[in-house]
Amino acid sequence: MHEFLAQLANGVELGAIYALIALGYTLVYGILELINFAHGDVYTFGSFVALGIFVGLRAAGVLHGAGLILGIAAALIAAIIASALLNAGIERLAYRRLRKAPRLAPLITAIGVSFMLENLIELWQGSAPVPFPNVIPNPQLHIGALEVGVQQIVVVALAIVTMVTLHFFVQRSKLGKAMRAVAQDRDAASLVGINVDRTIAITFLIAGALAGVAGFVGGVSFGSAWFLNGFGAGLRAFTAAVLGGIGNIAGAMLGGFLIGMLESFSTWLIGGQWSNVAVFSVLILVLVFRPSGLLGETLPEKV
Amino acid sequence: MRSPRTAALAAILLLASPLAACSSGPAPASTTIGIGVDLPLSGADASVGTSTLDGIKLAVAHANAKGVPGGFTFAVQALDDTQQGVHNPQQGASNVRTLIADDSVLAIIGPYNSNVAAAEIPITNQAGIVQISPSAVSDGLTLGKDAAMLRRANPTVNTFFRVCTTDSRQGSAAARFALDLKLKRAYIVDDNETYGLDLANVFARDFTKLGGTVLGRDHIAPDTQDFKALLLKIKGYKPDFIFFGGTTSTGGGLLRRQMFDVGMGKLAFMGGDGIPDIAEVAKKRADGTYYTVAAPNADLLPAAKRFVAAYKAKFGSDVGPYSANAYAATEVAISAIEQAIVANGNKMPTRAEVLAKIPRNAKNEVHTPIGPISFNKNGDVRKPVISLYAIRNGHSSFIEQLNLSE
Repeated sequence: MHEFLAQLANGVELGAIYALIALGYTLVYGILELINFAHGDVYTFGSFVALGIFVGLRAAGVLHGAGLILGIAAALIAAIIASALLNAGIERLAYRRLRKAPRLAPLITAIGVSFMLENLIELWQGSAPVPFPNVIPNPQLHIGALEVGVQQIVVVALAIVTMVTLHFFVQRSKLGKAMRAVAQDRDAASLVGINVDRTIAITFLIAGALAGVAGFVGGVSFGSAWFLNGFGAGLRAFTAAVLGGIGNIAGAMLGGFLIGMLESFSTWLIGGQWSNVAVFSVLILVLVFRPSGLLGETLPEKV
Repeated sequence: MRSPRTAALAAILLLASPLAACSSGPAPASTTIGIGVDLPLSGADASVGTSTLDGIKLAVAHANAKGVPGGFTFAVQALDDTQQGVHNPQQGASNVRTLIADDSVLAIIGPYNSNVAAAEIPITNQAGIVQISPSAVSDGLTLGKDAAMLRRANPTVNTFFRVCTTDSRQGSAAARFALDLKLKRAYIVDDNETYGLDLANVFARDFTKLGGTVLGRDHIAPDTQDFKALLLKIKGYKPDFIFFGGTTSTGGGLLRRQMFDVGMGKLAFMGGDGIPDIAEVAKKRADGTYYTVAAPNADLLPAAKRFVAAYKAKFGSDVGPYSANAYAATEVAISAIEQAIVANGNKMPTRAEVLAKIPRNAKNEVHTPIGPISFNKNGDVRKPVISLYAIRNGHSSFIEQLNLSE
């Protein structure tokens, strides 16, 4: 029981990171029907920006007491802004002019952008994993039979707050309404006066910001950043998005948590070398038996 | 230059001119003998790879300063076997082919990793060129059926030597060290690569034989980021320590680091010579890590002290975990080449003549900073020594050494 709870907590933490990345895939897919393969690398970029802020602040010697909290906030906000701008920049430069092109063209462009980002990050930070400084203390708490690190709680809380905010933004705000309208029918949306290009750009900004939060959280949780991190994490998050039903926001969250728990429990019960097999078997099974995902609507096939 | 276009054109011409001069220049002087090197020089292994290369450079500089018979000079020709940030067997094989294609190269030092060595040995065996690795420790490279397979192009000739020890020697030494440290209950994790898997297998076998208990065993998947699920599972077994077969870059560093995130920071962590650089990833969290290195502690040998001083003076940094081995491997190769030059009437020897001069017994052993070196018929060192180190306050400190019989 003790161990089950510990694995559950770990799965939730991992799942929170995957869910944040999966939301980025799902938002972009929802509005453009494009799988933005560069999204994983935006996550990596966010990690490195947070890392850079931490290293800089530690060198300045301000990471103590209240300075530590401010430092954490600064790293998080910097990662969010940098990733959001990067993602919106990618959309502006690489995808916007392909909006009327066949759907394969932006997809292949996305793969190209992904490779480009990976190599640029490698040029920037080198190809060895870069360790995060151990600045955030991580005392263990005992809550009943559950033993969790403070860091774990912060990670999950941060992810949940982000997701709840996103949910209300999309459901309640005017911009969120515009996003949903563009997702439903781009032409009709522009007929009622919605600026489609601007709405899509904002969607990329939000997706990038989520990747920034994930990059910060992942870097702190795993303890290092590496130029290829986004590839593995991106694939798992994509699987999560497909599992939940790609294009569906609640689905991406659900899928993320499920994949995180699956990874944690398969490592526990089957063995570490099987966790990838478990995760990607799910991707195959979903694609075969329920291509629309757990929460996706089953659309009648177009003839 | 009035327009950007003329500026660009001029820049291209400027860039192109030295290249043109190069291609039409004279061929390199035939008095240079190449010491080919294949190591991981970028990516995750860059820090160990570069300090290993520096050991080679130092040995070559010393040999040239002393004067080479026949008026030759040695030159290091180093190639990098990293691809996408990780040492890559195919890249290693292609590097070795490049080195062999150059007639002036009479010996190859490297590679660093066992899986790269397994891809290279068939090629150097076929070419009949001496190859000495400072650090590739997998048993199958020199022993048993696996080694026979690697040498099938030229079964009667062995061209591959190593100045380090084998996994089985290191694994069994680690088992003895662990019990000396009163660590009796082990959980074993490995990275599923040639080196890590072999090391973990031998450790498991000998640790059990000597009376230790292996509580469980796990392999990790490549590029795993989250080790907490695995660590939580291990925690349930209440081990005295975790033994890790692998390198810092294949998961050792993150595994050690994340032990602190699940409340296992005080647990001992032990591994082989793949994790001496673990403090670079885990920082202060590396404290409590033990690792073995297949060489005597440099501070205990006078030749080693001289080496350490010369290394620091030349490169301005501390000796890396395999710098001394690389220096020794290069000294052995250079000694064989020099003897072959003399035997050949001070003329450029062939690769086969160099191979014939590799030290085989106590009489012609080469005295290096890691002790006297000669090889047995498999290509392994005849008098192996294993040292145990611990990391304290983020730095390595020597604990004890074990002299193994052949």
